[in-house]
Parts: sequence; structure tokens; C-alpha cells
Amino acid sequence: MTTATAPVPAHRHVSAAQPIAEALNLSKSYGSDSATVTALRGVTLRLEAGAFTAIMGPSGSGKSTLMHIMAGLDTATSGTIALGGRDITRLGDTDLTLLRRRRIGFVFQSFNLVPTLDVEQNILLPFDLDGRRPNAAERAHLLALVDSLGLTDRLRHRPHELSGGQQQRVAIARALVTRPDLVFADEPTGNLDSRTGRDVLTLLASASRDRGQSIAMVTHDPIAASFADRVVFLADGRIVDDRGRCTPQEISHLMLNLEAAA
Amino acid sequence: MSAGAVTGMRAALGEHAPSILVAALSSAFGVSLLSTVGVLTTAIRADDVTGASATVAFILPIAAVIFLTIAVYVGAVVTANSFSTIIAGRTRAIALRRLLGSDARTERRAVTREGLLVGVAGSLLGALGGTVLTTLLAATCVTLGILPDLPYALAEPVLLVPTVVVVLTTWLASWIGSRRVLAVTPMQALGASGEANQEEAAGGLARSVAALALFLGGDALLAAGVFIGLSDPQGVLVALVGGVVSFLGVIVGANRVMPVILNLVGRLFGRGPTARLAAANAVRHPERTARSTVGLLIGVTLITTFVVATAGFQQMIRAAQAAEPEVYAGVDRMLTTTVAVFSVLMGYSALIAAVGLVNTLSLSVLQRIRELGLLRALGFTRGQVRGMIVAESAQLTVSAVVLGLALGTFYGWAGAQSLLGGIAGSPGLVVPTVPLALCVAVAVAAALLTLVASLAPARRATRATPVGALSA
Ligand SMILES: Nc1ncnc2c1ncn2[C@@H]1O[C@H](COP(=O)(O)OP(=O)(O)OP(=O)(O)O)[C@@H](O)[C@H]1O
Ligand SMILES: [Mg+2]
Repeated sequence: MTTATAPVPAHRHVSAAQPIAEALNLSKSYGSDSATVTALRGVTLRLEAGAFTAIMGPSGSGKSTLMHIMAGLDTATSGTIALGGRDITRLGDTDLTLLRRRRIGFVFQSFNLVPTLDVEQNILLPFDLDGRRPNAAERAHLLALVDSLGLTDRLRHRPHELSGGQQQRVAIARALVTRPDLVFADEPTGNLDSRTGRDVLTLLASASRDRGQSIAMVTHDPIAASFADRVVFLADGRIVDDRGRCTPQEISHLMLNLEAAA
Repeated sequence: MSAGAVTGMRAALGEHAPSILVAALSSAFGVSLLSTVGVLTTAIRADDVTGASATVAFILPIAAVIFLTIAVYVGAVVTANSFSTIIAGRTRAIALRRLLGSDARTERRAVTREGLLVGVAGSLLGALGGTVLTTLLAATCVTLGILPDLPYALAEPVLLVPTVVVVLTTWLASWIGSRRVLAVTPMQALGASGEANQEEAAGGLARSVAALALFLGGDALLAAGVFIGLSDPQGVLVALVGGVVSFLGVIVGANRVMPVILNLVGRLFGRGPTARLAAANAVRHPERTARSTVGLLIGVTLITTFVVATAGFQQMIRAAQAAEPEVYAGVDRMLTTTVAVFSVLMGYSALIAAVGLVNTLSLSVLQRIRELGLLRALGFTRGQVRGMIVAESAQLTVSAVVLGLALGTFYGWAGAQSLLGGIAGSPGLVVPTVPLALCVAVAVAAALLTLVASLAPARRATRATPVGALSA
């Protein structure tokens, strides 16, 4: 276990009072008035610092949209977002970018890697963007990540030489390598077999438990969601359920009910 | 027609607008050049005091054909290049249709049909513009008394020749440029890493061998031209063909040549994140790099060839003049006029190359909007993304300018040498002179062009939110 060396986050135990990310009454519509699609309808969600949250819901329910807006990647039609207690709704583009660079990690649903860079360069991109090289500790962390994701002999390969699941794992390594406060992962296990998927989930869970990183993960898989401390259910742009740790059976059951209601 | 089809056509028109412009410029050039030659010949025939009309009537069409060939050649290369850039952007859509059962040849034929339409539209527009322009010009000259008032034939059937030639070369160019369509596999519709990566590996040995053969064969012809030129100025025609073939070899092999030069140039740009990424991008994607630089390479090579040839020409005439002053009396004015006229004619082809440069460069930036969106999402600021694009373009520019200057010096020298090597009283061998002012002017103009061509689309690409760009 790495618990002994990892800094124990002070906010870990007061998390209930200190959300790392907070969405208030968030709405998002796409398109002009004739053909409007409403992806979010007044979502309020607090992500507690250091917690591992799973976001579930039928396809098209607004999970990706919610995640993008909370991460400052897209703008909401109305509502506010705060990250680490700071309102980012009206933050300028450069400040938002710096925030993403230093404090947030991402795994997107698709198109995660820069095609011209190899695996190692893709993983090191967050350091590059910040204009610095990883120090010894960060190097060690990188190697441990690469090893636990089974990418060690792939470091010199380019994205198009990797399978979909390998590309996804590279994106996960990149999202975790700088130990950002908050990691958003959109279906990080969507392309993985159950064993590799479990390795990834264990990694995410330990990032949250041992290093106090906050993780928000979108998933369709009840087993994946059962690794999380909390499961939030979205349907038709609204939060329809919000629970603590659940078993895969409970989650399956809830999902089936949701789909039946839809 | 459905709204979707209209939108689709509008998008295609936007993509093809620069190619239509290139075709129009080429045919306008051809039509104006030929009718101007016609007008001048009529005027000189009517005013045959010097008895030189036969010589002029012989030289003018040859000069016209040479410049027309160059313009059409540049136009065709630029158009082929534009088409392959457009195809690169359509790879996913083509792959998807292939996945759903469309066959490669049908896909390519569809692109070639667009090429024919582009050629017809552009060439007709250009011919019309060229005819109107020369008619007005001739009328003005007559009114001002510069030309005698004669019944000039301004809409002769011969003008159909450049018009048809431009249609055909544009068509051919679209056919060559759409070669890649055949290599698109249905698999590419599925690739999650976004880019048409196959493109990088493709263009294998056969292409490199062809490029080398063209280059060496062309150089052999150039050498033959220079040799013939020692006794007969017609050697320049052999050299012209040699130069065209040799340069074609460079263009075909650009995906091999440019990365090597870029690798060297990239080191000059430091090791910051933007510079490093820019260098990797430029080197790692040889096809795209080659496409983006070809327009610039042609322009720089063309101008350098011309200027170096002119400098050699002047040098030889001066030497000959010093040796036999009585033969070459009054040659100075002739020399200045010729250089001025030829500069304009050559500049026209450079203009066509510039249109191609701006087009391919901005298209390639726009095609990378997803990649740029990803970088933005990961923490590249707008400024850094633009910085990266500009650094990339700068590397491309420097490499193309360096190569163009080198090639142009060689071709220009060979041209002057083959034309004048045997001239009475000349030293026999010309020393190639590269005017410094030329290097500076070319570098500055190229830098400005690339900056404009890449910064505007980079601005557009970064204006969207990262998510908007990612899902583009
Ligand atoms: N750029 C866009 N333009 C228009 N509509 C959009 C856009 N992006 C998303 N939508 C719509 O918003 C809704 C929510 O989309 P979102 O991608 O958030 O769903 P999701 O829950 O992530 O679904 P999935 O599980 O399939 O990934 C959908 O109805 C979708 O069609
Ligand atoms: Mg989604």
C-alpha cells in the first residue's frame, strides 16, 4: 500500500462541507429555437473532495454534457459551476485553461490521444503543457501507472498502433499522472475486458482512497459503478437518484427501473 | 432538392473555391497572353519598318507558350495538391461509405467529377475575364494612341486552346489528387485516434523510386540542355523539359525530402512545449507536411529560377557586350524591358502558387480541429495552440524556402547556361549568382503568407469550446 507515503489530504474528513466541484441548477440546450435539444434541465450536484462518484443513466441522458460543463470544457445555458470553492462560470478562457491544466484530469469517451505523439509523449503531455519535466517522484509515479495499466512495452507506440482499450488506458495514465485534484472519466472501462477493467477501477479507487483525488466517472456498467463511493443517476437531463455505495445487483435493478420509466 | 443536398453543395463549393480560382487564373492568363500576342503581331506586321516582324512573330508565341506551360503546370500541381488535402479531410466520410458498401472506384469517380466541374467553371470564368480584360486594354491603348487603330481579332478560336487545356489539366489534377481515395479502408471509419494514419505509412517504395527516377532523369535532360546550349540556344527547350521533370520528381518525393529538412529546421525552434509539439507534428505526418509545403516550394523555386536565370542572362550579355560592343549596341533597353515583362509573366505563376499555399495550409489546420480541441481540453491555452500552429508553419516555411532557393538556383543557372552558353563573346560558362535581396524578399513574403494562411484558420479552430472542437 502507498498509504504511508501519500500525503493524507486534510479535507478528506470534512468533505461533506467542502465540495471540490459544485453545479447549481445547471441547464444546457443545443441548437436554435426551431430544433432545440435540451441535454440538462436544472441539475444540482456536489462532488465531495476525495470521493469516487459514478454517474449513470441511459444513453443521451446528459452524462457527458454534465461532465464537460463541470470541467469548464463547455459553457452552460444557465446555472453556475464552482471548482474548489471558486465560481468558474464567468472565468476567462485562459484562467479556465490553466485550471484544467493544473487541477483536472480527463478521460474522454473517444478521441483521447494526440495522433502524432507516441504513448509516453501522450502521457507526459500535461507536464509538457505546463512547460516542465516530471521530477523523480513523478517519474516513479508514471512508471507505476504505466506498469499497472499494462502499457510498459507500449511506450514507443503511436495511438494508431494500439487497440481501443489500450488507447483508453493511455488516456487514463495521462489523466492521473500529474495527480490532479479532480479526474473526470467518461466511460473509462467502456472498451476493456472485465479483468483489465477491474485493474483500471482499482487504480481509480485507490487514487481516491489513498491520494485523496476526487474522481467522477461516467459508466454504463453496474460492476464498474459498484467500485464508487456514490452513484448518481441521470435521466432525461435530470438527477433522478443519488445513493451511496451500492452492489452491482442494486445498481442493475435501479437502471432497469429507470429504463422502464423512460 | 433537399436542404441537406444544398448544404452539402455549398460546403463542397467552399472547399473547391480556391481550385476554381486557380483554374480561372490559369485560363485568364492563357487567354490574355494569346490575345495580347495576337494584337502585338498584327500591330507589328502593319508597321514593318524594321523588317523584324518575322522574328517577332516567331519569338512571341514561343515565349507565350513557355509561360503558359509554366502557369498551367503550377496550376495543375496546386490543384492536385488541393484535392489531396480535401480528400484527407473527407477520409472518415469516405471510409464510412466504404464500410456501408460503396466501392473505391465509385468514390474516386465522384471526386473526379467534382474536378471536371471545377475545371469547367473556373476555366470559363477565366476565359471570359481574360477576353474582357484584353479587349478593354486594347481599346484603351488604341484610344491613347499607343497602338494603331486596326481590326484586331480578339475572340479567335485559338483562345479555346488554353480554355480547354485548363479544363483538362484541372480534371487530370483532380484525378491524381484523388489517388488516396483508393487507399481509404472501411476500417478508417472506426479509428478512435482520429487521423487517417494509414496515410503516413502509405506512399511506399514505388513512389520514392518514381520520384528519384523523375528527378535524376530530369537532371540528365538539364545537363543535356546545358551541353547543347554550348553551341545552340535551343538547348534551353531541352533544359525546360528537364527542369519540369526534375521538379516533378521533387514534388512527388516531397513526403520523403521535407521531413529530413524539417528535422534539421525544427531544432532551430527550441524545446518549449509548443515548439516540440510543432516539430513532432511537422515531421510525423510527412504526407500532410508535403501537401502543405508544395505550393510554397513551387512559388519559391519558380521565382528563384527566374531571378537567377535573369542574373545569369544579364551577366552573359554584359560579358558579350564588353567583348563586341558594336554587335550589342542598344541591348540595355531591350534587356530591361524583357526582364520587366518576363517578371510580370512569372509573377503570375507565383500568384497561382500563393493561392495554392494559402488554401492547403488553411485546410490542413481546419482538418485538425479535433486534435486542437483535445490540446485545449488538456490545458493548452488559445495562445499556445496558435503558437504551435504558427511554429509549425514557420518550420514548413523555412524548409520550403531553403529547398526552393537551392533548387531554383540550380534550375535558373541551367536555364541561363543552356540559352546563352554558345552566345558570341560569352565566357562559355556562367557563374550562378544568387541575389541576396531575392533571398530576403522571398523569405519575408513567404513568412507573411504562411502566417496569414495559418493564423486565420487557427483562430477559427480555437474559437470553439474544447468540447465543440472535439466533437467536430
Ligand atoms: N453538440 C450537440 N448538439 C446537439 N445536441 C447535442 C450535442 N451534444 C449532445 N447533444 C444532445 O444532448 C443530449 C445528451 O447528450 P450526452 O452526450 O450528454 O449524453 P450521454 O448521457 O453522455 O449519452 P451516452 O451514454 O450515449 O454517451 C443528447 O440528446 C444529445 O443528442
Ligand atoms: Mg456520453
